[in-house]
Order: sequence, then C-alpha cells, then structure tokens
Amino acid sequence: MYDTKVVRRRRATLAIFVALSVVMLTAYFGEGSGGVFHTLQRGAQEVFAPLETGTDRALKPFRDGVGWFGDTLDAKGENDDLRAENEKLRKQLGESAVAADDVRQLRGLVKLADEDSFPSATEPVAARVIARSPTVWYSSVKIDKGSDDGIDEDQPVIAAGGLAGKVTSVTGGTAEVRLITDGSSAVSGQVLPSGGSGVVRPEVGQPNDLLLDLVDRGRRVTEGTTVVTSGFSSKRVQSRFPRGIPIGRVTRVDLDEVQLYQRVHLEPFADIRAIDIVQVLTKRGRPSENASAGATP
Amino acid sequence: MTFTPQTFARAGGIALLAVILQISGFAPLLLLGGHPDLVPLAVAAVAIYAGSVAGAATGFATGFLLDLAVGGTMGVSSLVLTAVGYGVGRYREVRDPAHGLMPIPVGAAATLGYVATIAAVSFMLDVGSSVSALVVRDALVTTFLNALLALPVFALCRRVLRPVLLVDPVDTRRRRRGLREAGPLGLRGLEA
Repeated sequence: MYDTKVVRRRRATLAIFVALSVVMLTAYFGEGSGGVFHTLQRGAQEVFAPLETGTDRALKPFRDGVGWFGDTLDAKGENDDLRAENEKLRKQLGESAVAADDVRQLRGLVKLADEDSFPSATEPVAARVIARSPTVWYSSVKIDKGSDDGIDEDQPVIAAGGLAGKVTSVTGGTAEVRLITDGSSAVSGQVLPSGGSGVVRPEVGQPNDLLLDLVDRGRRVTEGTTVVTSGFSSKRVQSRFPRGIPIGRVTRVDLDEVQLYQRVHLEPFADIRAIDIVQVLTKRGRPSENASAGATP
Repeated sequence: MTFTPQTFARAGGIALLAVILQISGFAPLLLLGGHPDLVPLAVAAVAIYAGSVAGAATGFATGFLLDLAVGGTMGVSSLVLTAVGYGVGRYREVRDPAHGLMPIPVGAAATLGYVATIAAVSFMLDVGSSVSALVVRDALVTTFLNALLALPVFALCRRVLRPVLLVDPVDTRRRRRGLREAGPLGLRGLEA
C-alpha cells in the first residue's frame, strides 16, 4: 500500500529539482558574461583550481600507465623478450613519461612559433591544462593561468602543432579554453598557398576531422595543403585569431555538383584530445609576410 | 535514508569526489576510443542505495558542481542527472534488486541514459555544427567502460553511505530472515 505523503514528497522533490534546472538553463542563456551564473562559474573555477591541479598531477602517472597499457594491447604481437624488457622499463618509464611528455609539447610549441607563417610579437604565455570537459559536446579545457598572467577573454590558444582554441572565461589564476573541436566553435581559415578561405567547424565526436566550409568552388584545394587562420579584418569586424596560425592539413575535398561551395576536410595539427601544455597568445601580433603571400582572403 | 547533516556530507563528498576525479583524472583517459565517466555511476550508486529522493538530490548537486567546474551550460547536467538519480532510485524502490552483480546493468543503463540524454539536450540547445556518427561509438564505449567500473564504484559508495542507510538493498541477511513466529498476532507470518 502506498503512503500518499511519501509519494507526494517524492514527486515534489523531483519537480523542484527539474524546475530549478530549467530555471538555471533559461537564466544562463539569457544573461551576459557578467551575469550571476557566469560569475558563479568563475568563482567556482577559482575554488576548484587547486583541487584540479593537484588531482591532475597526482593522476597523470596513472593515466600514462593506462595509456601504456592501451598501446601494449595494440602491439600484442611483440615477442616475449620485448615484453620482459618493457616490464623492466615500465617503472622507469612511468617516472620519466610525465617529464618527457611535457618536453615534447613544449618543443612543439617552440617549433610552431618558429614557423615562417606564424605571426610575430604575440607574447605567448605557457600554461598547463588542469581540467577537461567530460563530454564530446562541450570540448573545453581549463588552464592554470589567468588574468594575473595577462590572459584575457577571446585570446587564441595554441598547442604543439597548431591552433587549439580560444579563451572564453578568465579568473585571476585560471582560464577556460573552448577548443576548436567544440560544437559551437567556428574559425575563419585559409588554404595555403591557393588562398581559398572559409569557416573551420568541427564535426562533433570526431576530433581528428574538421570541416573548412564555405570555400568558393573556383578555388582549387588539394590534399596535403595547409590551412591557417585567415585573420580577416574589415572596418566593422575583426577575427579573434591573428593571421597565420596553422590549423590543420587538408585530407579530403568534397565536390558536390549541387553545392556552391566546397567542403574541405582537415586533420588538425594539434592533438586536441591529448594536450597538457598550451600557449595563450596575449597579443594579436603582426602577421608574417609568408602567411599572406599569394593569398587573398 | 535518514536526512541528517552527516547524510548530506557523505552524499556531497561522493558528488564532489566524482566531479573532481572525472574532470581531472578520467576525462583525458582514452580507452578504446572513449573514456569512462564516473559522474553517472556515482549518482546511480547513491540512488540505488538511498532511493529516488536522495538520488534526485545527489544528481542535481552533482550536475550543478559539474557545470560550475567545467564552465558548461548551467542546468544541463543538473537536469539530466536529476532524472538519472530519480530513475535509478525508483527502480530500486519498485524492484528492490539485491543480486551481487546488480551494479553492472544498473551502472550501464544509467550511463547510457545519461550520455543519450546529454546528447539530445545538447543537440537541441546550442550545437551549430554537424555531428559525427562516432558520437554513438563514444557513448557505447563509455557505457562499456562504466559497466566494468560499476562494481568497485558502487562498492565504494555503499561503504561511504552505509552508516546513514535505513535499509541496505544488497544486505542478503535482510532477505534471509525467517518469518515471525512469536510476538503480536498481527505480526506473525510476516518478515521480521
């Protein structure tokens, strides 16, 4: 036999929580970046940051260990001697993997900044990723540098290889970065050297495949060519990203007879799902002459 | 479950730990092309041991913390996890599952419900780009990995919650008790 009081209380509880969620959802969409919930998020990020930093660092060897395990599953054809050797080296590897991974990513960032097309005088600030979004729908990461280090909203973020995203919110010691694989991301890109330009959008759930959309059919785009940020500017608007930051390499071009535009598939240079260290370009910088040679945005 | 400050502290601790571990430890952990997700598992565990009201409340609180911590759209995770907590809690109240392997199907179902509903809500709200079919693979891999993780996560949550539980659904001794043969006439023949 049902106790009507219990049933009512149960249903009321559910109704209250659902209503609260819907109110939060509506208010969040309605308010600006200075609204209550956005401010609350920034405050919470300040509070969570030390916890996340500690947890991230504490669990990194574990993650590397799991990654190593995954790799060995792929390579199960290796002989027993190699496995025994791996066993001996595993302990050493676990200790050095963290440092080696950091060095690799830092080298990639330095190499990227030395590329001919990369804009100069961008005053990059290096930061470590301390938290990552758990779903494929909201691809964002949190970094351990914030406004105290000169970071501001909308500044571009690069990882080893190329463009990673842009800063969407900042607190004193942390910043949230929306990655280029986020469902709401859109970056103006340009194919080098042909100069065909369009908008780079992600395909949700497929972080290794970006789409350069709205590319004029008249522009010839070939596989293997590089796509960089176009950094367009007009009297009214200006792209958030300076010209010349590498985004990815063209892997496929869809030519539909019916469409006015080409759909160009890219593989991003930056390994978006495995970034640990990034750089925030705190100044817009000057576009390299090599980035614009022969290109018309 | 008795709602005391200790109850809130224990359920809140589970929610906070799940969120922190998920965003800093498990989210970047790529296995079979996906990653495990502790959040729906923790909510399902609280709901299965403490019931629908506690499950919904823990789901709401966990979602709130998650949206705050990752800077996602406020309310999305709260809404979905409230539903997951309530649904799992009602399943426990109606079916009273007690099998030792119960966490595996419950964890898998809760995870599948969570990822599918998050996908549906996100798709309806603010995704302006195309969606790859790999999203489905990602959801299935997460469900599979969570099914593997369900037993230890549920066991840990049960251990944390046990002091504040009125009835432990997995307590087999509760089920083995014999029928009452002495005492007031009205109670004879009933479970003691």
